[in-house]
Amino acid sequence: MRRVPLAWLNLLHEKTRLLIAITGVAFAALLIFMNLGFRGALIQTTTMVYGQLNAEIILMSPRTLQISATTPFPRERLYQAAGIEGVERVMPLYVSYLLWRNPETRISRAMFTYGVNPQDPIFLMPELQSPEATKQLERPNTVLIDIRSRPEFGPQTIGLETEAGRRRVEIGGQYSLGGGFAADGTLIMSDQNFRRFFSPRTLETVDLGLIKLASGTDAQRIAQAMQARLPADILVLTKEEAIAHDRTYWLQTTSIGFIFGMGVVVSFVVGTMIVYQILFTDIRQHLPEYATLKAMGYRNPYLFRLVLQEAFLLALMGYVPGLIIALGLYQLTVKATAGSLPVSMSWERAVFVLSLTVTMCGVSGLISVRKAIAADPADVFR
Amino acid sequence: MYLEGEGDAMTKPGNRFFAPENPLSNSLAPIKDELAVQIQHLNFAFGKGDLCKQVLFDISLNLPKGQIVILTGPSGSGKTTLISLIGALRTVREGSLRVMGQELADMRNADRVRVRQSIGFIFQSHNLFESLTARQNVEMAVELLGRFKSKRDQAEVILTQLGLADRMDHKPQALSGGQKQRVAIARALVNHPPLILADEPTAALDKQTSREVVTLMQTLTREQNCTVLMVTHDNRILDVADRIINLVDGQLESDTNPDAFINSHTYKNSKHDDAKMFIM
Repeated sequence: MRRVPLAWLNLLHEKTRLLIAITGVAFAALLIFMNLGFRGALIQTTTMVYGQLNAEIILMSPRTLQISATTPFPRERLYQAAGIEGVERVMPLYVSYLLWRNPETRISRAMFTYGVNPQDPIFLMPELQSPEATKQLERPNTVLIDIRSRPEFGPQTIGLETEAGRRRVEIGGQYSLGGGFAADGTLIMSDQNFRRFFSPRTLETVDLGLIKLASGTDAQRIAQAMQARLPADILVLTKEEAIAHDRTYWLQTTSIGFIFGMGVVVSFVVGTMIVYQILFTDIRQHLPEYATLKAMGYRNPYLFRLVLQEAFLLALMGYVPGLIIALGLYQLTVKATAGSLPVSMSWERAVFVLSLTVTMCGVSGLISVRKAIAADPADVFR
Repeated sequence: MYLEGEGDAMTKPGNRFFAPENPLSNSLAPIKDELAVQIQHLNFAFGKGDLCKQVLFDISLNLPKGQIVILTGPSGSGKTTLISLIGALRTVREGSLRVMGQELADMRNADRVRVRQSIGFIFQSHNLFESLTARQNVEMAVELLGRFKSKRDQAEVILTQLGLADRMDHKPQALSGGQKQRVAIARALVNHPPLILADEPTAALDKQTSREVVTLMQTLTREQNCTVLMVTHDNRILDVADRIINLVDGQLESDTNPDAFINSHTYKNSKHDDAKMFIM
């Protein structure tokens, strides 16, 4: 027959206190989930554009920080890369910020602009696959506008004319991409228009080189071969590596990582204190019983396990509602921000927060267990 | 009420080592194996240096197996200290203290825990886990010895013997004071320990309940041939003892049978039984 589950029964005995404890743990877990969720979503929006790029390998200058802070490199590098086996196509991508005037308010704001060769299938967005889109791109002083640009840029009607970079510009079409953290709105234009709008810049230097591989090739292996073949002024990254590259930039060299990291730490500390308070009260109340157990001949390891079991049970019982509420709030966030903050749960995060919650309760357990260990069996005779 | 009790006690088998003619002498002490507790020249002090306060002075005492012994004396006389030393709850530093043949003097903590496992403790406050049922509280003691298969049966048998058959699945909250104390006794007795140490087991109980509890304790310990050392101020239960030891200011004052004890503590002319209680 199994052992009397003393940890479990102790917790269940005080229903109100158990409820408060569960609420505390759930709240801490929820806060951690929200912080990680927002952080993940912000990072996802900044790297979202990579998901829409029709390329397996991306070339950039080693001095490029992320997609909106690039250092151009010579276009010859692309042609050199084109000679490597497995490469199907190389495509230059030019990027820069363009001041876009809202025709209604006449206020100009910086729009993030992609310059592409209209013949290159650079983007995967379905709106750009039609011959009509290509035709519009080829027209001079015509751009495609991102319908997820902020409303402050003004109307996005096709055919609308306004001023950008001191030139007249016409909206020739629309697509849906999203600018993420670095841009409030985006435009796509042809490389020829890019040259016009950003004169005196020429097309001799490119910001990103997109490389489409033949099907059935190993991007990782080709990227390595390419890096070995090309001069050191080029960084060859697979698409996943490029995303990781940008993510690292945002998390480690901007305040985003710090802010949300801080949120996680604070939630963790608050949670630890709540659980500690609960366990400590529980132990103090049961001190005569613990002393009795020791007088009867129970040893310290038993009490140690008992307290840690209670902590572990609290962690599990608090984590589950925390996870459920977090899932609900994630959906609510996505709805409230109309999809521009794509907060979503991943297995990794669920497991990570579970381990944080268990650690949190474990730490409080370890702090409070000293009190139980210190119970003097001689105190039972009073 | 004492007369009934003492006549009873004299005929019990546990009484065979009782030596009323010469109560303070150890010269007639039986061979070691027959002793549950053997104390020689035990001194004990709390604190160190200037704050050192000695509470026990040169105690020598033998408790043969099967005896029910009451330890009495004014408060502050060192009764509780003595019982906690015998219970291996404190370290013996001066003198010799043997429990079931094991020397406790300077014993390591881990070994003392093992000694405690063969002692049944009963306390003034029952110290039951509020979150556990009566049965589970008793099972906790059986688990200590690793008998997981038989623990349920053992707990049920002892609780039934103590008249709690219909109360086994109640938590302490739902039990009366007497019932709680009976559960605590069940917990102490369930492993059939050779030695029971009880500290004021009836202090929180009314007269009738104390009598019930003590009689049950007496019956069960006699059945198990178990040695009982009980600290009490409760004169109503003195008659269950084979022997009464009086401790005053940390020294053994007297060691007699209940009869002699009551006589020596009673005014000859007193008409009231109650008068005895003021003296003790």
